[in-house]
Amino acid sequence: MGGAPNNVTETPEFLLSVRDLNITYQTTRGPVPAVRGVSFDLESGDSLGLAGESGCGKSTLAAALLRLLPPGTTTSGEVTIDGQDLFSLSPGGLRAVRWTKESIVFQGALHALNPVQTVGRQVCEPMLVHETEVSQKAATEKSRNLFERVGLTADKLDYYPHQLSGGQRQRVLIAMALACDPDLLIADEPTTALDLMVQAQVLALIEELRRESALTLIFITHDLSVLAYVCERLAIMYAGRIVEEGPSLEVFRQPAHPYTRALAAAFPTIGDPSSRLSPTGLGGDPPTPGALPQGCPFHPRCPLAEDRCQDEEPGLRVAGASRAAACVLI
Amino acid sequence: MRTDLNPIVSVDEVSIFFGSARAVDGVSLEVLPGEVLALVGESGSGKTTLIRAIQGLQQVSGGSIRHRERPEQESTDLRADSGVQMIFQDPTGALNPRQTIYDIVAEGLRIRRDGTDEEKRVGDALARAGLRPPERFFPMFPHQISGGQRQRVVIAGAMVMNPILLLADEPVASLDASIRGEILALMRQLVDDTGLSILAVTHDLGLAWNIADRVAVMYLGRIVEIGTTEQILENPQHPYTRALLSVVPETRRMEQQILQGEIPDSKRIPAGCRFHPRCPLYRSGDLDEGIAARCTTEDPHLMLGAGWHAACWAVDPQTK
Amino acid sequence: MTSIANRRRRATMGRVWKQFRGSRQGMIGMTVLLVFVTMALAAPLLADVRELNPVFARAAGNPQWAPPSEFGPLGTDHLRRSVWAQFVWGSRVSLFVGLAATVLTIFIGSVVGIVSGFVGGRLDAVLMRVTEWFLVIPFLPLAIVLASVLGRNIWNIIFVIGVTSWPSTARLVRAQVLTVKQRLFVDRSRSLGASGFHLVGRHILPNVSGLILANATLAVPISILTETTLAFLGLGDPSSASWGKTLEEAFVNGAIIRNAWWYFLPAGLGILAVVLAFTLIGRTLEEIADPRLSQGR
Repeated sequence: MGGAPNNVTETPEFLLSVRDLNITYQTTRGPVPAVRGVSFDLESGDSLGLAGESGCGKSTLAAALLRLLPPGTTTSGEVTIDGQDLFSLSPGGLRAVRWTKESIVFQGALHALNPVQTVGRQVCEPMLVHETEVSQKAATEKSRNLFERVGLTADKLDYYPHQLSGGQRQRVLIAMALACDPDLLIADEPTTALDLMVQAQVLALIEELRRESALTLIFITHDLSVLAYVCERLAIMYAGRIVEEGPSLEVFRQPAHPYTRALAAAFPTIGDPSSRLSPTGLGGDPPTPGALPQGCPFHPRCPLAEDRCQDEEPGLRVAGASRAAACVLI
Repeated sequence: MRTDLNPIVSVDEVSIFFGSARAVDGVSLEVLPGEVLALVGESGSGKTTLIRAIQGLQQVSGGSIRHRERPEQESTDLRADSGVQMIFQDPTGALNPRQTIYDIVAEGLRIRRDGTDEEKRVGDALARAGLRPPERFFPMFPHQISGGQRQRVVIAGAMVMNPILLLADEPVASLDASIRGEILALMRQLVDDTGLSILAVTHDLGLAWNIADRVAVMYLGRIVEIGTTEQILENPQHPYTRALLSVVPETRRMEQQILQGEIPDSKRIPAGCRFHPRCPLYRSGDLDEGIAARCTTEDPHLMLGAGWHAACWAVDPQTK
Repeated sequence: MTSIANRRRRATMGRVWKQFRGSRQGMIGMTVLLVFVTMALAAPLLADVRELNPVFARAAGNPQWAPPSEFGPLGTDHLRRSVWAQFVWGSRVSLFVGLAATVLTIFIGSVVGIVSGFVGGRLDAVLMRVTEWFLVIPFLPLAIVLASVLGRNIWNIIFVIGVTSWPSTARLVRAQVLTVKQRLFVDRSRSLGASGFHLVGRHILPNVSGLILANATLAVPISILTETTLAFLGLGDPSSASWGKTLEEAFVNGAIIRNAWWYFLPAGLGILAVVLAFTLIGRTLEEIADPRLSQGR
């Protein structure tokens, strides 16, 4: 992770570097800014958790990192992956980057799989397309290994998606994402629809994969408590911006931004008497990207808002060792 | 003591079968007046089927469900019973997009042809659900309000019937994290202010910690552990509850105990204790031979005694 | 509360109208349709009905096969009748048959679709088999058989179109009912103790009515074309002048060979314009009924 966010130096040692990224959707009702000025760096082997609620821009950001945005979307800023500028890549270069350098695990494992193909074939496909494995036989052999790595027996290769449980399908998606040995894995809410125990299984799997193959990970979810234990660093997004960033446990336990505080408190610590029979939440709703409030976008819901928050949108500022938060009170 | 009050609803040895699938397999449960009972379980545990049966939307195959001050009832009559109301996981889906907030909240009254003071009662219910001033919301349509407000409308639509029991199916699972607390606070407040009871079905142990007085844990159609929230969440006895708690990210006081595999198909419920094939205690091999034999042959029953509250041979003090 | 309900209903109508006015295609369709409706209603003012009668035409001394330059706005046909009069009076029949047959089509289709989708089970199976039966038998031969058996009058034509074209509506409505039935708000209403009638009236119908209306506007052109087809095949009501009948007579009497374009072109263009107008209106209503279409999401 590249320290303070106003550090603009570009060093090629970063696996992924995002610089002042802005993404605006063009809709019939005018431009809708989804991501506004996001910057971060990832070194090889890092793990970054991106947390935020619906409409905060986290999934848009993930899609942008693979250039999967719908046509007509305006982007500015820079995304460099392994020294290559993502937005200036040719279609061929882009295909090479997808899967082999970075790949994504989506939420909703049922929709991400083709229902009329065996999961084995679907895992082989990226290998053959990207020619990381030359023959069908080699690809099948590799799939077998991948299935073993993600905790599925090899006979499941011949199954169709509907014959697998939700947890197994999520494992297939992870195997697929790993098919071409990517350096960076982006996991977009991979556990959201899963049961508690299955979620724990998948999280443990991701942790294990990361440990054994130095995978770089971006993990996106709305559940801060999951991230705090899966990722080393945490970035909290609100209204298209990163509003807090730092080492995960520190951010989770001592949030600097009032929004992070509310988000962390939303999931009570079981056994903590202060949250027993007293759920806490924020009033209001996350803002819609098309109609952001003036000033700090969080001020209408902020329990600590002052007058100046209505006019001033604070940028990220230093909030302790390798931590930053975007709040005027810091 | 709450226990000497008549229960609002008593579920007695209820079983619900779908063909050979035993979705609910002998569950007994009481909801007491003025309490929040959290029914915790994973998908496939039968918790949603059970709640639908209590609501009267699902026939039971065996056992009985009795509502207070009423003799045994046919499940079809139960639907018309305004004393039991329901709130849903997905508030957006639960609201007819063509109806105004007013019509939605008034619907229950209209179905019961109870038109006296309709406008006032609808207004009161909305206000009680935290939508103030209610008149502002009357002419609005569901798409014009936010997700959190929609769940409040669902709650108002239930509260307008003056229920004594609210069945809540994952009431906050589809809401944004920051809104979750607000809705839970509202539910707790309704219980404290009006003395109604809530039976909340959830997989979210944090919800139980936030609002529940008691917790019942379901596994494969059976309640495996029941007790006060403190008992269950701070001192769980059943190995399944312990494993569940250990993987909740919010409690990392225990060592993680990730169970292998998934809940078995309810068509093939394992013999003996239904949990034993996945049970960490059984699989560790450290169990006393006599107990281990019982685990594979005898179905443990949930029996409540001093200090224990789980259906498990290994932790049952009488087997020790 | 009725005043609130009325106010709200008026507000909804106002909203729909406002949205409709905002749509260019909708307004074009509406304008074209209004022109033809006005023409149909004002037919007695625009053309003498006696001009349709060949005896009168001959007595009046009309020329035969006269192009528009020689006689009245649109010339005459082989029987010396004014084509303009046929066009004006024909619009009445075409529009009336189109609308009436649509009402019948939509009524049968909606009832079958709603009952089938909502009740489900064995009734659904039976109704759907019947619907499929109607759907697979070739429509035109059936219509021809029915029309010739029942006799050639305007009500029979309407009946024939109605009973032969409802199956697609029924299937469409049923599919929509099935999805609406699955929605959580139906469950919610049921848990409040709602009866089947309440569920259909309050939840199912309002959520399929937009579709039904849109389907109706799209069924009108089909009905008009069917009437045209039947008339063209000589199965129309011989006593009333419809556009289809005009086309048939023009064809049979060699208007094309004679290059008497004024004979068949007005009726043809009239059908085209009305069909297009209804389609445009239907599309617009569909978009308003289903906001997802217009928001482009």
